[in-house]
Amino acid sequence: MPEIVSFDVAVIGAGHAGIEAAVASAKRGCKTALFTISLDQIGNMPCNPSIGGSAKGHLVREIDALGGVMGEAGDACCIQMRMLNLSKGVSVHSPRAQEDRRAYHTYMKKICENTKNLYIIQTEIADIQLNENMEVTGVTNRFGAVYPCKAAVICSGTFLNGMVYIGKTGLESGPDACLPARKLSESLQKNGISLRRFKTGTPCRVHRRSIDYSALQAQTGDADPLPFSFFPKTEALRNDAVCYIANTNEQTHRIIRENIGESPLYSGVIHGIGPRYCPSIEDKVIRFASREKHQIFVEPTGLNTDEMYLQGFSTSLPEYVQIQMMRSVRGFEKIEIMRSAYAIEYDCINPKCLLHTLAFRGYHGLYAAGQFNGTSGYEEAAAQGLIAGINASAYILNQEELSLTRQSSYIGTLIDDLVTKGTEDPYRMMTARSEYRLSLRHSNADARLTPIGRKYGLIPDERWQKFNEKMQRISDAVAQIKAAAVRPEQVNAYLEAVGTSPITNTAHLENLIRRPQVKFEEIRQVIPITFALQGEETAEVSHRIKYEQYIERQTQQNERLAHLEKIRLHEGIRYAEIHGLSSEAIEKLTKQQPENLAAAAKISGVSPADISILRTWLKAGGDHHAV
Amino acid sequence: MSTIAAISTPNAVGGIAMIRISGENAVTVADAVFRPAGDIKTTQMRGYSCAYGHIYDADEPVDDVVLTVFRAPHSFTGEDTVEITCHGGLYISKRILSLLFQHGAEQAAAGEFTERAFLNGKMTLSQAEAVMSIIQADGEAALRQANLAKEGKLSKLMTAVSEELIDLMSAFAYWLDDAEEFPEELERSTLHESLLKIQKQLENMAENYQNGRVLREGIRTVLLGRPNAGKSSIMNLLCGMQRSIVTEIAGTTRDVITEQVKISDFTLLLSDTAGLRETGNAIETIGISQAYETLEQSDLVLYVIDASIGITEEDQKILKECAGRKLAILWNKTDLDCAAPPQLGLPVYPLSAHDENALSDFGEILHQLFAEGCYSNQPVIMNERQYHLILRANTAIFRATELLAAMQELDLIYAEIEEAVRALRELDGLDYTEDVIQGVFSKFCVGK
Repeated sequence: MPEIVSFDVAVIGAGHAGIEAAVASAKRGCKTALFTISLDQIGNMPCNPSIGGSAKGHLVREIDALGGVMGEAGDACCIQMRMLNLSKGVSVHSPRAQEDRRAYHTYMKKICENTKNLYIIQTEIADIQLNENMEVTGVTNRFGAVYPCKAAVICSGTFLNGMVYIGKTGLESGPDACLPARKLSESLQKNGISLRRFKTGTPCRVHRRSIDYSALQAQTGDADPLPFSFFPKTEALRNDAVCYIANTNEQTHRIIRENIGESPLYSGVIHGIGPRYCPSIEDKVIRFASREKHQIFVEPTGLNTDEMYLQGFSTSLPEYVQIQMMRSVRGFEKIEIMRSAYAIEYDCINPKCLLHTLAFRGYHGLYAAGQFNGTSGYEEAAAQGLIAGINASAYILNQEELSLTRQSSYIGTLIDDLVTKGTEDPYRMMTARSEYRLSLRHSNADARLTPIGRKYGLIPDERWQKFNEKMQRISDAVAQIKAAAVRPEQVNAYLEAVGTSPITNTAHLENLIRRPQVKFEEIRQVIPITFALQGEETAEVSHRIKYEQYIERQTQQNERLAHLEKIRLHEGIRYAEIHGLSSEAIEKLTKQQPENLAAAAKISGVSPADISILRTWLKAGGDHHAV
Repeated sequence: MSTIAAISTPNAVGGIAMIRISGENAVTVADAVFRPAGDIKTTQMRGYSCAYGHIYDADEPVDDVVLTVFRAPHSFTGEDTVEITCHGGLYISKRILSLLFQHGAEQAAAGEFTERAFLNGKMTLSQAEAVMSIIQADGEAALRQANLAKEGKLSKLMTAVSEELIDLMSAFAYWLDDAEEFPEELERSTLHESLLKIQKQLENMAENYQNGRVLREGIRTVLLGRPNAGKSSIMNLLCGMQRSIVTEIAGTTRDVITEQVKISDFTLLLSDTAGLRETGNAIETIGISQAYETLEQSDLVLYVIDASIGITEEDQKILKECAGRKLAILWNKTDLDCAAPPQLGLPVYPLSAHDENALSDFGEILHQLFAEGCYSNQPVIMNERQYHLILRANTAIFRATELLAAMQELDLIYAEIEEAVRALRELDGLDYTEDVIQGVFSKFCVGK
């Protein structure tokens, strides 16, 4: 086959995962190709025109803290920013932005074009070539052209054998009327990778003029919006877009129930498994029959378009049913559909075949990220893309690959869940998935991850210096608070005003800040101490003081597992030869090949005694392969 | 490494028992329960030194012990280690162990001391296989025990409570991640009620442990009553031998006399006490205060009343002191002229201590009193480890209620509920997060 140009790393797919993977790899000095079926769809948002949201906002800030690009683009193309969950405790506060989706595409394409070492190429990759050592040697396009490379990252999203359904009619297609990728699945299966089918769906896009907004409730952005990025490039966020809330009613539900037989899912045409978290409207109506209404969010898809997205109204019913059920909603009586709702079914893997580095077990230089790994959501995809890109380049550069712990981040939790437990439906991040929730705040993502991003070359000098200054200001302020005593006459008026008991003697400032009624940003105004804090830092200092004891306890409670997580188990250990392991443990460990002792401990049938034996065996030098 | 503790002597009654604590905080954990007789604080003790003193549960002395400190790396495990040598009753050593758990130690896993010794380089490589054999043997024994317990009532109770908690966690997870509206389960008053209900269940389980202990180790029984009501005669009758000195003079028994007797299926650990009355006699006064102390630690009170005198005001007063305990009245001296037994809503057993067969039906009374929770139903099998986990869960729930009362944020309360589930699930090592997520999707209509 004729070779064209050769690369270090080939990234297949230029969605949210592919962009992060390619940009990270290129920034780290690897000659990187980013292949996409359409240059006009780089960073496309084929579903909701928004970034962030509960737990997903945490992911975006973590991506930014590590040196990824999603936060920067999200800020630049934001048209409305809100902090969610403000009433629910700081650990679950999470930013969410409405985005101009075309602007986002253009911005991301520009980032890719401007990145040194990065080459964007429009073509459909049909084959990944491996040598007899299962090392990646190149990728081939549909026309037979070969691009030699040493590593490949698969970020195929919903494109692999994509089938779009409206009603019972299926059409071979990628999302947003893109061409699907029809050949790569075959190549992967030929190379021993097994695939399965997942499905997801999206609602209609409708014309702005066809909605009666007087029947809807308006929702505006925050008065004081916070950017995603810890090192924002955008001066002030655009924040003037308005969203609206509508509600379904009994009549809508009746129309859905009467036509449920026309759904490709309910009639059995689609077998793929859909996301539990993002159910279609027919799922909601059938499964929660007693609910009288469901909310629909009307969201603008950009500043230069009249297309509106209807969040919460995803469906795969035929178009004649779509229009009927929509027109039954108050305010939607004259609705004009511009793009119909559809379901899409695609090939993906069971992520248990991956390592924590997102490399395929048993292959060399082959990585995967995003929906292809069985997740759902732009943010989950981008998070994995960043890690896969860092590691594909680490493989090329012969560096130690990065695997984040559960304790470090939601990204680490996401990947650990995927590769140790697998997933039975498209996986969405939730704060409930982390046992370290209290310490994984969006606001301290930089403290947790920026040093790691720096180590992997993704944090430039200027940003690193600013980061260190910020950390210094925060730790100075915490130390000031811990050393400070306040007198009754200084604070009692304030304490009484916020409804908590006054003090009779000199008290520790930190104890007062720990009272739920007391706000650090308020009490600092009444005491004669000056803090050198900027912007978000005041809130961060407050959280550190208020949560300190709880985080300490949560950390202790999780200590045993966290310790085990650090003890690696090398691939190919012959468990049967380890003296003392139970036969059940030998069978399960051999089959599942856990990467570390914590993952091994979570396997049912592997007892605490088995873990002790493994640890002893490792310590005794039994694992000769250990690096 | 965490700090672990276990009873290192065999699980049987002996002269002395030894409890070993090892890990970073071994000395501080010991310091929290030990009050030395001398001036040197536990935390200041040097390696290879020992001290005499008392183990205290808050302000209550538990036992007098000898405490030996080993400083890292000069100990068996290579970590800071404290060994507590106490009296050899099973109850005492387990109670001390429980106290250590309350102060932050964790139950040592099978072979864990040996394992740590190895990991800390206290043994040579060639010993590794031997170490693994020890872990394996201990592990198998632990597994057998766990499997037995799994089929038991306790395991079902633990599962039921953890399922209730998982339901709560699902409501939290739904609310934290998705809900615009507040689920009813999380209204502060509703949540408080749910938590109290769960706390009650956990307390019942812990109490069951005490009942289980009654089966294994015997019922701590105290004979109480006014002077000369016939307590010692009844003690002798129960023991079938002359144990207490019986005279006609009121106030003969001045110290607490203990004896172990088997009646029906129960073992009674009997204590005869000084008769309770206001007295000017110094020695008798000490006896009386000891009687009250014995009462404090008893599972069963047998209150003896002289039927020929009838129930007196003083009896009524003492009975009030016994409120809340398992209690039976022995209506003694029915061979004399006497009144009908009083109606106190308590089991009353009329007898004459002079009749050798007077207590032949006494087993019935014990069955009535101890049937519930430990006898008529399937016996509750619970070991110290399970008991500790239940206490851990209960502590977490207690903290959750406190945070709730202090109007703290709900994410903190969620973390405590999560800790309770983690404790209850620890024995079967199940991953609970998927159950929580499953709960969210099955109970709530989520998503955009």
